[in-house]
Amino acid sequence: MMLRKLLNVRCGHLVRRWSSSDPLSLQNEKLQSYLESLRLEYYGLRVNATGNSRAYERLSQLEGVVNALEQRRVLERNITSAKDIEQEKDEDMRKLMEEENEVYADLLSKQEETMLQELLSLADDEVYPALIFGVNAGAGGQEAMLFAQELYEMYTSYFEHMGWEYEEFARETTDIGGLRHANVMVSGADAFHWLRFEAGVHRVQRVPATEKSGRMHTSTVSITVIPRPADVHVHIAEKDLKIETKRASGAGGQHVNTTDSAVRIVHLPTGLAVEAQSERSQLKNRELAMKRLQARLVQQQLESSEASKQATKKAQQGSLNRNEKIRTYNFVQDRVTDHRIQGGTLYNLDGFLKGGEPLTGLVEKLQLEHRRARLRDLLEAWQPPQKAANKD
Amino acid sequence: MFKNLTRSVRHLTSRALTHYNYATSTRSSGTSSSTSGCVRNYPAKQFVAVTKAVEGWVQKLEDAGVHDTEFNLKCIVSHVLKRKFNTVPDNFSQLHFNPKQLAEFERFLEARCARMPLQHIIGEWDFMDITLKTAPSVFIPRPETEEFVRLVIVNYKDVEHVNMLEVGCGSGAMSLSMLHALPQVEATAIERSKAATVLAAENAKLLGLQKRFQVHNHTMEEDQYLPEQLQDKKYDLIISNPPYVKTEEFQFLHPEVVVYENLNALDGGSDGLRVARLVFDLACRHLHSGGKLWLELGNEHPPLVKTIMHLKYEGRLNFVGSYYDQYKRERFVQIEKV
Repeated sequence: MMLRKLLNVRCGHLVRRWSSSDPLSLQNEKLQSYLESLRLEYYGLRVNATGNSRAYERLSQLEGVVNALEQRRVLERNITSAKDIEQEKDEDMRKLMEEENEVYADLLSKQEETMLQELLSLADDEVYPALIFGVNAGAGGQEAMLFAQELYEMYTSYFEHMGWEYEEFARETTDIGGLRHANVMVSGADAFHWLRFEAGVHRVQRVPATEKSGRMHTSTVSITVIPRPADVHVHIAEKDLKIETKRASGAGGQHVNTTDSAVRIVHLPTGLAVEAQSERSQLKNRELAMKRLQARLVQQQLESSEASKQATKKAQQGSLNRNEKIRTYNFVQDRVTDHRIQGGTLYNLDGFLKGGEPLTGLVEKLQLEHRRARLRDLLEAWQPPQKAANKD
Repeated sequence: MFKNLTRSVRHLTSRALTHYNYATSTRSSGTSSSTSGCVRNYPAKQFVAVTKAVEGWVQKLEDAGVHDTEFNLKCIVSHVLKRKFNTVPDNFSQLHFNPKQLAEFERFLEARCARMPLQHIIGEWDFMDITLKTAPSVFIPRPETEEFVRLVIVNYKDVEHVNMLEVGCGSGAMSLSMLHALPQVEATAIERSKAATVLAAENAKLLGLQKRFQVHNHTMEEDQYLPEQLQDKKYDLIISNPPYVKTEEFQFLHPEVVVYENLNALDGGSDGLRVARLVFDLACRHLHSGGKLWLELGNEHPPLVKTIMHLKYEGRLNFVGSYYDQYKRERFVQIEKV
C-alpha cells in the first residue's frame, strides 16, 4: 500500500494519462494479475517448449513483456519502504534513502512505459509478409481520378520512406493524368500493421483543376488493404503458359531486326492474360509479365480463399470498415483531418501528401489507439485463473 | 536488281544521316545560347504537344514497311525528350516538344521510314539488365539472344569460378550481361571488327565491368584461332553467336539488316556454319576437359551440328543437347570438350 502511495506521487504523469479506472493503468488489479499470468505462461512454456514451433513463437512474443515485468520487480524491491524510512533514526541515512528512492522511482516510471509498449505490441494480430494495396477512384469523376493519382504518389513515397518493397501490377490511368485504379503488392513484415489503417474512404474537398466556374467539389477515393497470408503460394508451370510476342511467325535471329519487345502471357488453366511493354528488352518485359501474372493469381486465390476472408474481416475490425469515411483532405483550409481519433487534424497539406514524416506520425497515432483498444478488449475478455484470484 | 535496291536505299538514308549529323553538330554548338534563357522564353504556342507531333506518323511508318509502329514512336519520343523509356506514358499525355526537339523527332522518324534500325537512331539499346551503346557498323543483339544468355546464366549461376571466352562479341552484349549477372565470371573476347572492339571496350567501361573483361581485335583463322598472347590459354566456357545466315538467304533479309548492319556479322557461308566450324576447332584446343561450348545458331542447324560432332569430332567434342528459343525454334546448342 505504501509503495503504491509512493508510486502515485512519482508517476503522476502516468496516472494522469491513464486514470486508475483505466484498464490499462498499471495500478489496475486486473492488469496486474494478467501480467502475472503472462509471466507464469512464459516460464511454463520455457520448460515445456522443446521442438514446438508454435510455443517458440509465443515465447518470443512474451519475452519482451516478461523481461520488462521482471526488471520492474527488481526495481520495486530496491525501493525502501516509507515505513523503513520512518524507522531510520539517522538523519543523513534517511536523506540518502529518500534520494535513492527518487532515482528508483524515476527508473520505474521509464520502465513502466517500455512495459506498456511491449504489452501493446502483444495486442497485434497475426503477421502477414505482404499485402495488396488498392487505390480506387470513387465518386467525383475526373476530379476523383486526379486525386487518386495524388494519393497513389503519396503512398508510394510512403512505402519508400518506410523501406518496403512494392510492385505495381495493375494500373489504369486517364488522359489528363488521373488514376482509375491501381493495385500494388507491398512486402515487408510490418507493412500490414501500418497500412491497414489507411483502408477506407478518403475524401477530398477542393476546387478541381477541371472546374471552370470555381465551385468547390467533394470527391472520394477508396483504399483497400488485403493481407496476404504466408501460406499463399502460386506455382506456375511452364507448360501452362502461352507466351506471345508481336512477331508471330517468319524468320528470327540474325535474319531480321525487329525490336519486338512487347510480351503477352496467357495462363491456360485460368485464362488470365497479362501484358508487359514498358521496357525495351523483351526478356525484361517477360519477367515483368510473369510477376504480374503471379500477383494476379495470388490475388485471385486470396479473394476466393477462406483464410483471406477471415484476415480481411479481422483487418476491418473496429475502425476499419471499408466503406467508412476515414479522412478528409481539405485544400481550401490546407488541412487533413482523420475522423477516427481526437486531435486528428494536421495542417500543411502539401507536406502531408509527400508521404513522409507527417503521414507516418498520423499512422503511428492510429496504431497506438488501435493497440490500446485491442488490449482493453483483451483484458475485458480475460478471466483470471482461479488460483491467481485466490492469492489476492 | 537486289544490289540496285540496296544502293538506292543506302543513298536515301545517307542523306537522312548527313542531315542528322549536321543537326546534332549545330545543336552542340548552339547549346550555349539556348541555355542562356531562350528555351525558357519560347512563347507557349511554340511548344508542341507530343500527341499532336506524332499524328500521321503511324501511317507513314506502316507505309514504309515498319512494324510495331507505336513502340517505335515511343522509343524515339523518349529519346528526343531524354527520358527513360519506361517513364514515358503510352499515350504521351502532357508531354511537349520545343521546336528543336520537334525537328529532331521528325528527322529521326524520316530515318526510321528509310528503315534505319531503331537501335542505331537512338544510339543505345537495352539487353537483359544492361544498356549498351550501339554503333552503325556493329551488329545489334536480338531478343532471342537474351534468351540464350539467360540459359547460359542459369547453367553457371552456382559455379564457383568461370573463365569465359566469347568469339565475336560485337557490342559486348553477351559477355557483359553475363558479367553483370554473375560476379564469379571473368571474360575474354575476340572480335574481328575494329569498330566493334572499341565499342565493346567502351560499353564495358560504361557498365563498370572493364576489370573482368578484355577484348582483342583478332580475326579467327585456321591454326590462328586466338591472338598471340592467348595462344596457350584454356577456358571453362566458350560462348558465341557466330554469323549463321546462309549466303543464299541474303536476298530475304530485312532492309534494316542488309543495308545498315555489318554483313560480316551475319554471313555464315553456304550452309551457315562456316564460322561455327572454326569455333569447333578453337574449342578443341582452348577448352579445359569438361569445359562447355554454347552456341546460338539458325533453326535448322542443331541437328546438323549433332551430325558433325559424331562424324568429325568423335572423341574430342561431345554434343550435349539443343534448346529452343521463345518462338519454339531449335536454336541453341551445348557441346562438351571430352
